[in-house]
Amino acid sequence: MIQSIDYVAIGAPLALALAAGLVLLLDVFRPRRTPGPLGLVTLAGVVVAGGFVAAQALGGGERRTFCTGGAGCSFVVDGFTLVLSGLVLGAGVVVVLLSMTELAERRIPPGEWYFLLLCALTGAVLLPAARDLATLVVALELVSLPVFALTALKRYDGRASEAALKLFLVSVISTAVTLFGVSLLYGLTGTLYLEPLSAALSGAAASGAASVAVVLVLAGFAFKVAAVPFHFWAGDVYQGAPVPVAALLSVVSKAAGFAGLILILTVGLPGQAALWAPVVAVVAALTMTAGNVLALRQRAALRLLAWSSVAQSGYILAPLAVIGGSARDASVAYLVIYAVMNLGAFAVVMTVSRTAARGELDDYRGLAFGRPGAAVALAFFLLCLAGLPPGLAGLFAKVVVFRQIVEGGLGWLAVVMAVNTVIGLYYYIAWTARLFTPAPAPPARVSAPVPAALAVGIAVLVTLAFSVAPQLVLAVVG
Amino acid sequence: MNGYFSSYLTVAVLLAIGLAVVSGALLVNRLLRPHRPTPEKLLTYECGVDPVGEGWAQSQVRYYVFTYLYVVFAVDAVFLFPWATIFAAPGFGVATLVEMFVFLAFIALGILYAWRKRVLTWT
Repeated sequence: MIQSIDYVAIGAPLALALAAGLVLLLDVFRPRRTPGPLGLVTLAGVVVAGGFVAAQALGGGERRTFCTGGAGCSFVVDGFTLVLSGLVLGAGVVVVLLSMTELAERRIPPGEWYFLLLCALTGAVLLPAARDLATLVVALELVSLPVFALTALKRYDGRASEAALKLFLVSVISTAVTLFGVSLLYGLTGTLYLEPLSAALSGAAASGAASVAVVLVLAGFAFKVAAVPFHFWAGDVYQGAPVPVAALLSVVSKAAGFAGLILILTVGLPGQAALWAPVVAVVAALTMTAGNVLALRQRAALRLLAWSSVAQSGYILAPLAVIGGSARDASVAYLVIYAVMNLGAFAVVMTVSRTAARGELDDYRGLAFGRPGAAVALAFFLLCLAGLPPGLAGLFAKVVVFRQIVEGGLGWLAVVMAVNTVIGLYYYIAWTARLFTPAPAPPARVSAPVPAALAVGIAVLVTLAFSVAPQLVLAVVG
Repeated sequence: MNGYFSSYLTVAVLLAIGLAVVSGALLVNRLLRPHRPTPEKLLTYECGVDPVGEGWAQSQVRYYVFTYLYVVFAVDAVFLFPWATIFAAPGFGVATLVEMFVFLAFIALGILYAWRKRVLTWT
């Protein structure tokens, strides 16, 4: 039988996919290879997709499509889907703006760059709507595959090639592990849809095979969100990749990984919570500790951001260890706020890295005297990431997570997280202090390129909005 | 040993018989044949032609692109064959036909890209 397709429901990924095709065609049929128009087409595609998400959010209700009678639906647009799609598309706008600055140097082919970027965004928008294991895995691969190529597009650059190879190997292995777990789940239950899967598993007693399947699926997603013990790739990849790709990895790719993880754990395997919740708790504690301790000793800005984002992954994971309740809302709220402040930090690093090619933390010394705007913005984002006033957005996010963990009875995890927040303060504040320390030779006054400055502006505005009115996030999520 | 694993016994027995037949034939051959080697006889047998060069040979990297394009179409055939068996069945119609061509158009973007980037010309 023919399935009827709800084209409004799939509007956002469809718009992104069509924009990707359009960019590729424009690139090969245009006589001159200037990056400008392609960037605008890409931005338009992301904005149109955002329009679909906004329209669905305003319309309310839940849309389901690609349903097979009785078994379930593959594509569901509900509140969770809309929040994460909105996050991905907002991050997409910032990444496209940063790309315009990166591509202005003409070292990277623009058509391929924007095509791959749109493909990755398509996957990331598709993923939170996926409600069967096959769609989930395909969407996750659609996020991952273009990112390897994006990392390697800066040709004849040893670090970029190394980063791409590491990312590729880690990601392929993690996909294989996930697929092994998924195949076991399918073998045990005979269904790929998440809701029937949960029903089928809850009926049977917990078997050894089910435990193995759950742990394998968890391990595969732990790679994607750079959780311990699968975090080694983060430092080298963030430093080797172009800055917009590092921002994409740390926000879009991570949001996609968490969306998949949350869907599988809370929709597909809620009956197995007694098995996976302790594992998630231990992984979360180890991830935040390892990320923070590794970040302490970093001298390069991007490596510090890499390990700090590993630590932040731990904070996002922590509420998932609480069985039942509104744990998933706390995770999503933290993810949204983390995405905004982290993107802001990457955007400032992008504008600074154009004058300080080495990207060491010492290059930021005295930034406040040469470029006060960039310095104040970066200081704000770093204080947000640390969770200190005036960066209230980060503070609220941490409070939400703390409350959830303490209410869930995981006192030890709350203690670990508190200790980690203190460790994190050290390196965020050390970096902030450098910005305002007078340098022997103050950096030259250069104006930031317009698109990157716009990206910083957007991130500052949204973070300020979340700081003043955190209920914007908390109400939508909860 | 339950019924599931015992069915693998058949496979193991078949494997043992296969090994016995091949190694037995080679062994009997060795015992019966005369043994008078010459340098020509000891050369690697390559379809009757004298072997040229080393075993380690490099192939052109541009074959990679053609392999890649082939894979694109091989994957597309995986979807075409099941589609071909049902698209004319009752309950399916023009929509099914159009959907497959939409899919093919997306695949064709890859070929179009390869053509414009001059991947398809050999020199």
